[in-house]
Amino acid sequence: MLSLLLRRVHMYAGLFLAPWILMYAASTFAMNHRPHDRKPPTFERERTETFPGEFAPEATPQQVALQLLAFLDLDGAHNVPRPAADGKLTIQRLDPLHPRRITYQPDTKALIVEKQVFETSAFLERMHRRRGYQHDYWLEDLWAISVDVTIAGIVVWALSGLWLWWELKVTRRIGLLSLAGGVALFALFLKVL
Amino acid sequence: MTFPHINRRTHLYLGLFLIPWVLMYGVSSIPFAHNQYFEARDKAKNLPLWTKTFEGPYDLGEIPGDRPLRFLGAKVVKDFHMEDSSYGAFRQSPNQVNIYVHTFWKSTQFKYFIQEKRIVAEDRRFRWEHFLTGMHARGGFEDGRFFPILWAVIVDVVCLGFLAWILSGLYMWWSLPALRFWGWVALVAGFASFALFLWRL
Repeated sequence: MLSLLLRRVHMYAGLFLAPWILMYAASTFAMNHRPHDRKPPTFERERTETFPGEFAPEATPQQVALQLLAFLDLDGAHNVPRPAADGKLTIQRLDPLHPRRITYQPDTKALIVEKQVFETSAFLERMHRRRGYQHDYWLEDLWAISVDVTIAGIVVWALSGLWLWWELKVTRRIGLLSLAGGVALFALFLKVL
Repeated sequence: MTFPHINRRTHLYLGLFLIPWVLMYGVSSIPFAHNQYFEARDKAKNLPLWTKTFEGPYDLGEIPGDRPLRFLGAKVVKDFHMEDSSYGAFRQSPNQVNIYVHTFWKSTQFKYFIQEKRIVAEDRRFRWEHFLTGMHARGGFEDGRFFPILWAVIVDVVCLGFLAWILSGLYMWWSLPALRFWGWVALVAGFASFALFLWRL
């Protein structure tokens, strides 16, 4: 019964999580072959606006960013670095396909929205690095949960795979050789790297 | 020896060989995904992360502004007898270059102050989550030494392994007609959820 359950969990988890695994495999491959002198991302101007509203006198950069994103109809996960010395605020609006850079100049109230030009390896790397519960958006939390489920899936595949292998007596000898070979190589890396 | 047989055995033996990497990538993803928790837990210990081990005059020569600084790391690891470590060099500010020298077990950062021609070396306190995330993030073919390149090759093999497990797993699932309905449900639900994330995230 346990064996059957493990077999089913192993398989259905694999089928459900296949897109995540494909993304992590492709992005890892891209990062492993990333040139060390890669160029910074390219942005193209999408639109320019003038912000018509006012901010509370003690508004933090985070509160200003929320107000600006709502005005632009771009509310969603974002990062707000510290404003520049002249007060210029740059908001990084996260997006898997087209991240945006929004620049706000307080003295003129000018808003410039720039869209990052799509580039496959950068897209894969963004997906790979997207994780955690730090953003106040339910879809971000749902994605973070899916990442946790993928982590659990990876561990479960390894452990259930070991169990299922041990049950197949005819595969024990070559299986043990494969396992020992992998463990020995990994141990060597731990020593020399 | 039939194709289904070869398919099953490849799925199994590849998995057994790569199990240390699969487990490492799985477990080390936890501190990445829950970084805030691990940082808060470590902060509560109130221990310094970096300990100064050296400070003194040092000359790295002219620092170019228009090309990668990796060659500076090569000089530092040679001068400080750390040739068995990997390294990277980055311009921290107009007057400062940081060189990170690391193995799986130990990390040292060198802060080089260009105008003063002075260098500070600091060792990082060992933390299990750093050990795991360091292994997870290790990759690339920049380091010309044999073992780092071999590690990068294995990283590629793990990527291809995941692809092979998906394809061989799909074949095995399709060979079991009784499981097709719920298999389709799982597969479609996974791809639909992922597409939704791509669209709305």
